[in-house]
Amino acid sequence: MGSNEREAGAGDRLDAALQALPPGIDPGRDLWPGIAARLEQAPVTASRRPPAWLLQAAAAVVLIAGSSLLTAKLLDGDRAAGKMAEVAPIAGSTPGADGIATMPASFGPAGRMDPEYVAARRQLTSVLESRMARLPASTRAKLESNLAELRRAADEINAALAEQPGDPLLEELLLKTYQDELAVLANVNQLTSSLANAAASPGDAKRMEL
Amino acid sequence: MKTAASPVVRQFGTCAAIALLAAMPAIAAAGSPINKRTAADPAGTVEISNTAGSVVVTGWDRNEVEIKGELGDGTEKLEFTKNEQAKLTRIKVILPNRSYGVDDTDLVVKVPAGSTLSVNAVSADIVVRGVGGTQRLQTVSGDVRTEASGEDIECRTVSGDVSIVGSGRKGLVSITTVSGDATATQIAGEINGHTVSGTFSFGAGETSRSRLRSTSGDISFAGQLAPDARIDFENISGDVKLDLKGPVAADFDVSTLNGEIRNCFGPKPSRTDEYAPGRELRFAEGTGSGRVRVKTLNGDIGLCRK
Repeated sequence: MGSNEREAGAGDRLDAALQALPPGIDPGRDLWPGIAARLEQAPVTASRRPPAWLLQAAAAVVLIAGSSLLTAKLLDGDRAAGKMAEVAPIAGSTPGADGIATMPASFGPAGRMDPEYVAARRQLTSVLESRMARLPASTRAKLESNLAELRRAADEINAALAEQPGDPLLEELLLKTYQDELAVLANVNQLTSSLANAAASPGDAKRMEL
Repeated sequence: MKTAASPVVRQFGTCAAIALLAAMPAIAAAGSPINKRTAADPAGTVEISNTAGSVVVTGWDRNEVEIKGELGDGTEKLEFTKNEQAKLTRIKVILPNRSYGVDDTDLVVKVPAGSTLSVNAVSADIVVRGVGGTQRLQTVSGDVRTEASGEDIECRTVSGDVSIVGSGRKGLVSITTVSGDATATQIAGEINGHTVSGTFSFGAGETSRSRLRSTSGDISFAGQLAPDARIDFENISGDVKLDLKGPVAADFDVSTLNGEIRNCFGPKPSRTDEYAPGRELRFAEGTGSGRVRVKTLNGDIGLCRK
């Protein structure tokens, strides 16, 4: 028997086997109600979660506003204390109507932060570092470990975002962790300004020494 | 073997003794007790600044501010000033430029009970009792203990702990620490807190707004939700525990990446994605318009009725 005949025989057997199969298999249970329910849910899910690009844009706007306000707060606190820190202007910063510099920042995935955000952080850190030397050693150690904790948290969320890009929970937590870091730096700067401010305040014409 | 001192050494010793005697009045003045008093507006502002030691402030029914206590050895002076127009009394411990080796100063201050109070410290502890006005209490490493009467209270520390005992009256309580723990009982109204690694434990009455955030410290909140309450808790690696008293009428939106969600209200959490970590829980309890949001990365979330 030639190879063509062998192939024809195998084809006939396959045809026979296919014809012997039942024309359809009924599912063990009716699947349609479940499918219909999921189809109905689909638009709700879509509206509940806006697109990732929209969340990122919103996050960037909030971060810009947040970091600008925090920096403004810090600078205002220093001005009020009469101890304005001399800091280099941030590259690319835009002075607002009230003279407060706004810092554009982006919401970089996978641990890549906008250079200007990094610059803002460096600015706050440099002011703080000049005051940290006057803090009690134990407080200084706690502060340093907590700042490291915040940076670890940001790294961890960034790592998770690399695995799950666009996850709204991770994006929200990452944004807030960045904000928290700036808030802690600004807050501690403000608190420790009293260290630099411990000398006698200038005289006030309306003030009466008791 | 005993050796006789040379004339030069004897002369130097005599000069040193004279110099020491001359300095005695200044040293005695620095270590002397404080006892000062002035008239004050019953609803005025009292600002107190002390670097190290303690500040104990008590509200009383007199329209006077009184300071007692002891000025630390080496302190430059105590500034006690008044601005009649601004209804402001200021108490400030002034340290010399080189403040190494200066002893702590303990201030015991009495203020009109309705005063607005502002205290700034570095390592000094702050204790406030019976002050009914707004309070702004800040210390770097000292602890803060105060009573809430319904007026706004803001407490900020780096490593110091914060403790607030409320009266059940509604007000705004804001607590910020870096590593300090915070506890508050019988507070109500709006409660906000932010910490990195401190533990927050709050027992509240009816709460209309609360926003608590932490990086690694646990958050525990027990309270009653106002009908339109907005509760927003976030944590990265710390746990969040929410025990709700009384009727609960709110929409819940709870999610975590790696933590567990325990819910005593019935509905079970579901996975956010078939192939990735993450759990979420959304449900409505009652018919009110309250909203509860809890988000964590690694921390566990517990929701229960108390």
